[in-house]
Amino acid sequence: MAVTLDQSSASAVVEARRAHNEKLARKADQTRATWFPLAVMAILIALPLLQFTGNYNYLLHMVLFTASHVAMASGWNILGGFAGYISLGHSVFFAIGGYFSGMILARYGISTIVTAPLAGLLAAVVGYLIGMVTLKVRGPSFIISSIALLMIARILFDNWELIGGANGVTLPVNDLPVQWAKIPYYYAMLAIAAFTVWASYKIKHSKFGLGLRAISKDEIKAESAGIDTRFYKVMAFALSAFFVGMAGAVWGEYLTYLRPNIFLVILVSANLVLMSILGGKGTVAGPVIGAILIVALNELFVATMGASEINILGTGMVMAAGLMFFPLGLVGTLARKGKLPRVLNWD
Amino acid sequence: MLEVKNLCKHYGGIRAVDGATFTVDKGSITALIGPNGAGKTTAFNCISRTVAPTSGEVWLDGQRIDHLRPHKVTAKGLSRTFQISRNLSDMTVIENVIVQSRVDGIAGLFKPAMSREEKDKAMSILDFLGITRIAYEDGNNLSYGQKKLMDLAALLMSDPKIILLDEPAGGVNPSLLEEIISHIQALNARGLTVLIVEHNMDLIMRLSHRVVVMAQGRVICDGTPDVVRKDPQVLDAYLGGVLEQEAA
Ligand SMILES: Nc1ncnc2c1ncn2[C@@H]1O[C@H](COP(=O)(O)OP(=O)(O)O)[C@@H](O)[C@H]1O
Ligand SMILES: [Mg+2]
Repeated sequence: MAVTLDQSSASAVVEARRAHNEKLARKADQTRATWFPLAVMAILIALPLLQFTGNYNYLLHMVLFTASHVAMASGWNILGGFAGYISLGHSVFFAIGGYFSGMILARYGISTIVTAPLAGLLAAVVGYLIGMVTLKVRGPSFIISSIALLMIARILFDNWELIGGANGVTLPVNDLPVQWAKIPYYYAMLAIAAFTVWASYKIKHSKFGLGLRAISKDEIKAESAGIDTRFYKVMAFALSAFFVGMAGAVWGEYLTYLRPNIFLVILVSANLVLMSILGGKGTVAGPVIGAILIVALNELFVATMGASEINILGTGMVMAAGLMFFPLGLVGTLARKGKLPRVLNWD
Repeated sequence: MLEVKNLCKHYGGIRAVDGATFTVDKGSITALIGPNGAGKTTAFNCISRTVAPTSGEVWLDGQRIDHLRPHKVTAKGLSRTFQISRNLSDMTVIENVIVQSRVDGIAGLFKPAMSREEKDKAMSILDFLGITRIAYEDGNNLSYGQKKLMDLAALLMSDPKIILLDEPAGGVNPSLLEEIISHIQALNARGLTVLIVEHNMDLIMRLSHRVVVMAQGRVICDGTPDVVRKDPQVLDAYLGGVLEQEAA
């Protein structure tokens, strides 16, 4: 028989504490500005109306590109931020999503927007299986295993004739007029990003999220606290791959071609890591803010310095400076200091 | 209730635990004592399956548990604390406590992190230990003694049948020591079985019904506190030193 403390006799002190805690919780709820991302969403949903007044394809492209990175960085954050397992191999799931849906589009003409959830599912299954092997090690060993995964996948894709090998495959272009050609992908990517951020919020506030946090702090303690650490980690890996896979699916069709040297490069993974870390890994808002900042910075440096190595250097410097002042990322550090602007508090 | 049979844990050539055999009776407070390096912590690690034993068996309520993974051992009703308090940093005390509550199946994973019932239960445990006021404190900001109490609170959250305490009063001040002793006695009075590693002989003699003495990975003596106190082998290996120190 397990020993339980009699709760019916909870003392007046406990009652008073409970009231106090509920007050604290209500206050935390009030300072949480979930309306802000919703308002931004509303604006972004209405944005394509601009196309009636002129050509805003560049703007739509930038939003779409940012949304894809919001989805991928938030997905990466489930494993890298919540569970604390830094993966540099997430490009693999981006490629799996892109190729799976892209090949179905090429063969059967079914849009990737329809098959994206399936692509995510496939990425999740692959993530689950890979996680079962690689999540046995942590820290630098795990990072290296994730890079190895990427290298193996690259060799595989480069030599797999069925999917075009190193030359890749060209995908059919939709027959919408130029003015409207981007719109389906725009909305699809926006939906994927919103879904990912919502899921990330749900996970963070669930038992699963609490367990992942415990794992990221002290795995031995977490295990002894009764958490099935192996299962939690593998699930985190699978979910994380799911969102990256979905984004990859739509990205492939939007790009109109699939090629290993676009999808299976470490830069794609590295960007997700940088975005999450700069914004604040382990937070819900962090990867979103990080993705927006890095995409914007990259664009700014490309515009002012040209698409040379210098723009990468510029982004790198800003990154380094950012982390010097915000070691836990923007959202993480500001929240720790109690200085997080309300509009960024959606965690 | 808990039976440890011929437990061995070897690290290369080091025989940290070397054929230890002892039992813990249901409802008892059993002390595991011995000089530093005797293998007490390692024995705890093997029982809770934090490390895999090299050989030997561990039985809990007639079920073998030495092949289970740690979270399963916890689910069977055996929870332990660590000698060096392993609190989860950046988590509040109540989160540190509730993280130890049971989760039912995959559906349970996606329930809210802390339900109202769990919060109430955690608060009543914290109240029992007299630390409700630190419930929403960051685990990092606690004093050494508060961490020890938080460990105990987290342990209770998993509804254990038996708890293993690794030096729960190591390095705490005398008044907190008294507090911890009375908490352990109160829990035991409610039917909780306790296995405790402690160096404080005064605490051991007052608290425990049975004492198991380890030295160099083996159990060298096992009996009531009075019997153990007078055992020549124990005096030789361990108590001699301690009692001399206390006399000095
Ligand atoms: N992970 C390990 N690797 C190697 N030796 C270890 C390890 N853990 C414990 N030992 C050794 O095992 C012996 C018993 O240690 P321990 O169980 O911590 O003793 P106690 O808790 O009784 O002081 C010591 O000699 C210690 O050095
Ligand atoms: Mg020890």
